[in-house]
Amino acid sequence: MTASNRIWANLRRDRSGMTGLVIVMAFFLIAAGVWLGLLGQGWSLADGGRWEPASAEYWFGTNVLGQDIFQRAIFSVRTAFDIGLLVALLSTALGAVLGAIAGWYSNSWIDGSVLWLKGVLDSIPFYLFVAAVAFALQGKPWAMHVAMIATFWTTTGRLVRAEVMKIKSRDFVLSARAIGLPDLLILARHVLPNTSHILLVQTSIAFVAAIKTEVILSFLGLGVQDGVSWGLMLAESTQEVLAGHFNNFLSASLMLFALLMGFNLLADALQDAFDPAQVSV
Amino acid sequence: MTEAVLKIRNLRVLMQDAGRMVPAVDGISFDLHAGEVLALVGESGCGKTKTAEAIMGLLPRAPASLQTGRIDLEGTDLAVLAESALRKIRGRDLSMVFQEPLTALDPVFTAGSQLAGVFRRHRGSSGAQAREQSINMLQRVGFSDAPRVMQSYPHQLSGGMRQRVVLAMAMACRPRVLIADEPTTSLDVTTQAQVLTQLTDLGRDSGTAILLITHDLGVVAQYCDRALVMHQGKIVEQATVDKLFRSPGDDYTAELLSAVSRSTSP
Repeated sequence: MTASNRIWANLRRDRSGMTGLVIVMAFFLIAAGVWLGLLGQGWSLADGGRWEPASAEYWFGTNVLGQDIFQRAIFSVRTAFDIGLLVALLSTALGAVLGAIAGWYSNSWIDGSVLWLKGVLDSIPFYLFVAAVAFALQGKPWAMHVAMIATFWTTTGRLVRAEVMKIKSRDFVLSARAIGLPDLLILARHVLPNTSHILLVQTSIAFVAAIKTEVILSFLGLGVQDGVSWGLMLAESTQEVLAGHFNNFLSASLMLFALLMGFNLLADALQDAFDPAQVSV
Repeated sequence: MTEAVLKIRNLRVLMQDAGRMVPAVDGISFDLHAGEVLALVGESGCGKTKTAEAIMGLLPRAPASLQTGRIDLEGTDLAVLAESALRKIRGRDLSMVFQEPLTALDPVFTAGSQLAGVFRRHRGSSGAQAREQSINMLQRVGFSDAPRVMQSYPHQLSGGMRQRVVLAMAMACRPRVLIADEPTTSLDVTTQAQVLTQLTDLGRDSGTAILLITHDLGVVAQYCDRALVMHQGKIVEQATVDKLFRSPGDDYTAELLSAVSRSTSP
């Protein structure tokens, strides 16, 4: 049985993990639908009355401007996936590269610099940092992305660094050198692939963290500038809830809750399925 | 006797230990001839492995270790060679088999892809050529089901099988010199005999000089032509295996030999 087969078998035995997978797949299909222009395209159209209740035409009712809350909630899935995927992939890649280099050249000035950078970034309060980046980038829609990628890599970097330090003392690394492979090639081809279990789990954790952070930042007005997101819907709803209109608030928070819950279940199950004790030697 | 392939002259290795430099290898000299199997014997910590790592250029960088002396491989002094030039020689003219077969292969790649990598790197073979050469090489180290072994991941192979894959990788380019650092210590006795027979046969076939590092005098008697006895970083005796066992010239050698006979015939 190959490694991927075994991981799949482990995952399939895990009922909550499979529930998570189904939820995440469902959300992914919605996001794909929005990307392809099939769903949620009318999110900014204000053609309804103010605060209409749920009906056959407006499934979740309308907001203060008469916009369809269902369409907005659906379009926000795409916003969440855009940010989650981009930040998760880039921050994990950055963490993998910096962590691997630090671990490979451990106790050198390179390692010292990476650790110093990590220490500095970890010591800045996150929302302050985002606010500073957003201010420095003056209304650029990707200020939030930059801030998240610049801070999210540190955990991955630390884990990969430790794993690389462990792996580099194994005989197959010495063998690779004895066969005549250059250091960076050994690092890229034989050391980093052995940290894939960490990278996969970290990607899924960063995905969830990025979506959550995006909602909070958008709520605070530091996040999504063009488009709609659950965070913006929640920000709108602060006035509405006081007036007794819960549709905006409930649809944004329930969608967010369902996606994060599903993803956490999946991430937990993946962590178990990828347990290196069961996969490699 | 033929001209020596590898000439070691006055090799010294200093290792950093608690802030000061202690000699791990203390001025050793010896010759290794084509096609011969030379044993390097001695107790744990006498400097055998450090000698091997110094020859391969695999010692930790300064200041963790310092090395002086000549390591002459067919006229090239490896001790002063740049790392990039040394990389071309490693695996092609000079290769090494390590002690621990369980970790000597990368767990995330198949045995075949790792073996084929050697051919691609040093011979410039294409994918298909490398595969054919790999299967051929696996058959030479005694696998009857080479195509299946090619597709196996290291954890699917037994210790003896892995060590033979490692041996195939080390011998892939018919190196001039092969250093085997206790290649069979972690294997059981039958597997050990199998691997060592394969090792010495392959060496003889391709004219490779083998430096076999071991602490097992039984292995020395059965597989080696000559032996170096090492003690506290120095070579205390250098002799043919016959002479070594018949009339050891050094007190330490005699002590080593008697230790074996005591433990095998109580």
